[in-house]
Amino acid sequence: MSKRRTLDVSGLPPYDISSQSPLFWGQVLMCLIEGSLLCMLIATYFYLRLSVDVWPGPGVHLPGLTLSSWALLPLVVSCVGSYLASEAAKKNSRSGMLLGLGLNLGLAIVFLVLRGIVWNSLNFTWASDAHGSIVWTILFLHSYDIVADMLMTAVLIVIIASGRYGPRQRIGVHVDSVLWYFLVGIWIPLYGVLFWAPRIIGGGR
Amino acid sequence: MTPAASEPHAYADLDLLRQTWSSKRGLFGWLSSINHQEIGRRYIVTAFFFLLLGGIEALLMRLQLAKPENTFLAASRYNQIFTLHGTTMMFLFAVPVMEGMGIYLVPLMVGTRNVAFPRLNAFGYWMYLAGGLFLYSCAFFNMIPDAGWFAYAPLSGPQFSPGKGVDVWAQMITFTEVSALCVAVELVVTILKMRAPGMSLNRMPMFCWSMLVQSFMIIFAMPAVMIASTVFLLNDRTLGTHFVNPAEGGDPLLYQHVFWFFGHPEVYIIFLPALGMVSSIIETHTRRQVFGYPALVLSLVGNGFIAFGLWVHHMFATGLPQIGEAYFTAASMMIAITSGVQIFCWLATLWSGRLKVTAAVHFVFGFIFIFVMGGMTGVMLASIPLDLQAHDTFFVVAHFHYVLIGGALFPLFGGFHYWFPKFTGRMMDERLGKLSFWILFVGFNSTFFPMHWLGMLGMTRRVYTYIPGLGWDHANLAATVGAFVILLGGIIFIANVLRSRGSGARAGSDPWEASTLEWETESPPAPYNFPNLPVVTSRTPLWTAQAERPLVVGVREDRREILITAVLDAEPHHRSVQPRPSLWPMLTALGFSIGLAGSIFAFSWYYVASVLGLIGLIGWFWPERPLEVDQ
Repeated sequence: MSKRRTLDVSGLPPYDISSQSPLFWGQVLMCLIEGSLLCMLIATYFYLRLSVDVWPGPGVHLPGLTLSSWALLPLVVSCVGSYLASEAAKKNSRSGMLLGLGLNLGLAIVFLVLRGIVWNSLNFTWASDAHGSIVWTILFLHSYDIVADMLMTAVLIVIIASGRYGPRQRIGVHVDSVLWYFLVGIWIPLYGVLFWAPRIIGGGR
Repeated sequence: MTPAASEPHAYADLDLLRQTWSSKRGLFGWLSSINHQEIGRRYIVTAFFFLLLGGIEALLMRLQLAKPENTFLAASRYNQIFTLHGTTMMFLFAVPVMEGMGIYLVPLMVGTRNVAFPRLNAFGYWMYLAGGLFLYSCAFFNMIPDAGWFAYAPLSGPQFSPGKGVDVWAQMITFTEVSALCVAVELVVTILKMRAPGMSLNRMPMFCWSMLVQSFMIIFAMPAVMIASTVFLLNDRTLGTHFVNPAEGGDPLLYQHVFWFFGHPEVYIIFLPALGMVSSIIETHTRRQVFGYPALVLSLVGNGFIAFGLWVHHMFATGLPQIGEAYFTAASMMIAITSGVQIFCWLATLWSGRLKVTAAVHFVFGFIFIFVMGGMTGVMLASIPLDLQAHDTFFVVAHFHYVLIGGALFPLFGGFHYWFPKFTGRMMDERLGKLSFWILFVGFNSTFFPMHWLGMLGMTRRVYTYIPGLGWDHANLAATVGAFVILLGGIIFIANVLRSRGSGARAGSDPWEASTLEWETESPPAPYNFPNLPVVTSRTPLWTAQAERPLVVGVREDRREILITAVLDAEPHHRSVQPRPSLWPMLTALGFSIGLAGSIFAFSWYYVASVLGLIGLIGWFWPERPLEVDQ
């Protein structure tokens, strides 16, 4: 056999916890999918609004503004927890990861409780009219994503706390943060649509 | 040529590689396999099975329409069959078969060992299989959808479509879309992050470009159909929401908008991979680099963008504002530019190369002829006045079969002849291949060309019968005869596949003297794909002297290690270890499937899907001992 030139890659690191990792790219694409889904729901919201004279219909109260705005605070601060966890994952600091993930999970629970109170105060359901359907759908889908990510975070806490983890799980912590940034980021426009849009631009045609 | 596994290899321990990358044995091994070749083959075989089912449904329809006032099928049965036919062909055949080809070929073409997320790949297949079985097993309980493959409300709404058929349809979409999204994500990452060192984006094979654009289209288009089918339609039917109920502020046209925002890109999702196949076949058989590579790539990307700006041309007859419709006319005609550029690039390649006319090339010629015809009627239908006359007639049926069969099925058959040696290690019979081509070509045109006339004469689609004396009789009979000619062509094709699989001539690694990396490794490839990962120094690596192409060494062989490279220039960045085979993807898909199937009866089954899915995902991601990489 003739001698071939070779490219030796044995000096390259065997894993990488950064935006170069395949899992990071996979997570970003998953966020794109979820993002296009939610953007389509925003379009649906305004489409439905255009086809009625009064939005929301008579007797329907707009979703409350105060508590939903205060709820943004724990939500945004919870990203600090994600950031700490992700940086700790890069440095392989077990306590740092646990601290970050715990902070993230705790503040997410606070947010979820506040959202639950706001949600519970609505005087319409998904079955009231088209307005109710789209508001409940947006709230439900975003909450579903939030809960899914919180469960994932909880599982990661168990794994990291057990000490039985390797680089793959640390990459998991990193991309878990990426998903959380997305879920927080996408809530800002969704919050604007649900709580501010009907107040600022009025209802209906 | 790469040595077979038993021969000693200068730079790799082939026995160790095989041990590391092989699936487990037996039923457990089959269920837990995460090898891209095996999963890709499963996609292709399953999709062809559904093609047969869809084909049988087409024949039943043609039998019913063969003569006026035929009583072979009742009206309601006819409705079910055309719905199943469209649904099967679009969701269970066309998209999955292209995904299957991509899953099999892309890792080989970019020079790596597997797709980026092997377990996700297996999960996607099981979801697809479950979706197909769900649709057809519901047929046994007479829960058969009958509102057409796009299930417009209000026809598909609770008032006009009682029973569970439409619910089954709506949830089947979820299965297939989840599957397509999984494949899209893993192929994008495989293509962008796992290319062989040196394979910068401008050296990437055209087929990979087409899969890349297609995958991005899936990512942006498929969420829309899930919203249309499950959020709007299924929830309106089972949960009592009012998205498409005008009495409570909903709007049926909203459903059409969102469905076609997916539905139009869907057509391109199906035929972009086929365009990649055409480029591959033409390049190899003309013995020259494909003409106008940058133009071809830009056209593909252009196709991808423009596809999202066309959806309203399916809705010209719904009374939308004319100014808006005019925009969509212009956009629809624009697609002729990007498609035309590609056709002319291929013609220039064919003209200036030394063409070898194999069966695969026959199918490419068939594609060019049929697809251009379909494109012409497409430009006609983009014009609003003509569309309003031809809307929902057989003219449209003729148009989209010319585009889809010509644009996707013929290249797919060509691609199948072309890559069959790689899949199986054996050549397909050339004479039988050419024979099946001619029979399919003649059968196709005699089936669908008369439909242009039928449409012009006013025959609307989806009618289960017609009265004599309208001048429709002969054309309908011709179409029915043609459909059986297609069947004959299909039988010869399948016979050729089965015969060649067992006793075709041995192919060797590179029977066509092709240019791309998949032909460097043995046929069929070993589970590790390449003994050493290749390095690429040109757009046509196999036409570059071997001495100029280094091999990658230093990737560990005792664990599933791959090389991650930079997005643009594919410089090596780090190594990465892939997960081992696992039952969890299959179990997760099973859990989701149980919940999704139940959700056609009550919304609460989504919670079942979530809990079972969560258990599956925890098992899937739970760290296994020994850890792949130590701290």
